[in-house]
Amino acid sequence: MSMPAPVDGSGAATERAIVIAAQQGSDDAFAALVRIHQRRAYSVVRAIVLSHEDAEDAVQEGFLHAHRALDRFRPDQPFGAWLYRIMANAALDLVRRRKVRDADELPDNIAIPFRDPAESGELRERLQEALTHLTTRQRSVIVLHDVEGFTHGEIGRTLGIPEGTARSDLHHARATLRRLLQNIRSSS
Amino acid sequence: MTHNRWTPRDVEITGALRAHYAAPTDESYWNALEARILAHVARGGEVTGWWSALAEMSRPALAAAAILIVVAGAAVMHSRQLEARNAYDSVISAAPPSVETAARTSSLGDGDAAINYMLSR
Repeated sequence: MSMPAPVDGSGAATERAIVIAAQQGSDDAFAALVRIHQRRAYSVVRAIVLSHEDAEDAVQEGFLHAHRALDRFRPDQPFGAWLYRIMANAALDLVRRRKVRDADELPDNIAIPFRDPAESGELRERLQEALTHLTTRQRSVIVLHDVEGFTHGEIGRTLGIPEGTARSDLHHARATLRRLLQNIRSSS
Repeated sequence: MTHNRWTPRDVEITGALRAHYAAPTDESYWNALEARILAHVARGGEVTGWWSALAEMSRPALAAAAILIVVAGAAVMHSRQLEARNAYDSVISAAPPSVETAARTSSLGDGDAAINYMLSR
């Protein structure tokens, strides 16, 4: 899958115009940017945080940071990549704050999924618990790669890590999930 | 790791991951989130819970408390200065005690006189 860019080639010029309008203070233009990017932004932060509710908070914070930093964005750059990096930072910051606050409460306070269409499957139930055995970065990398379709390079740019680290994290994340889920009966 | 090295279990885990991380599909959800994001940006990220209302009230309350403390302190100080001045004035302006009063205050009480009489015998 290609780089997270909701705006394709023909729409890039339009988006650039929207970004410039937003930089000049147009609230409508900024609202259009939110509309264009919020789903992808949600997916990026959801890969990093543990719950749907935290993902919503992180998306809001991410857009707030983006709004404040908008005048520093160069419109000749891809807006999506810039925005998703901000989103990832907002999500990582939220995870750090949650870790400090919930240090004594983990694992009771983990991963309430927004919705799981097949909660009956033992694999899917255990997956939720197994995900807590991954580091935040490993979890982010495997979700961005296997769920959202980011390449290693895109993951590296979004999370601010070298591509090789993303590749290594993906390997370790998969190995950990395989090990933790190997004795579960198949749901199919 | 490439897809051709995946086991059926890997495929199953990935399917479960996708189900677990599935984003909401309801359009109204995204409209509502967009509105929340824009509201959050418009108010500069400030939290609007009851605690923020308390926080808003706390600044004027603190100022009022500080003014009260200063006023109360000034009143106490003024009261003490007045008291000290009155005491000083009363000492300066008071007439010296009469001889009779001085003798009365220095004389022994009746009980002491009786004891002295008994001891002297």
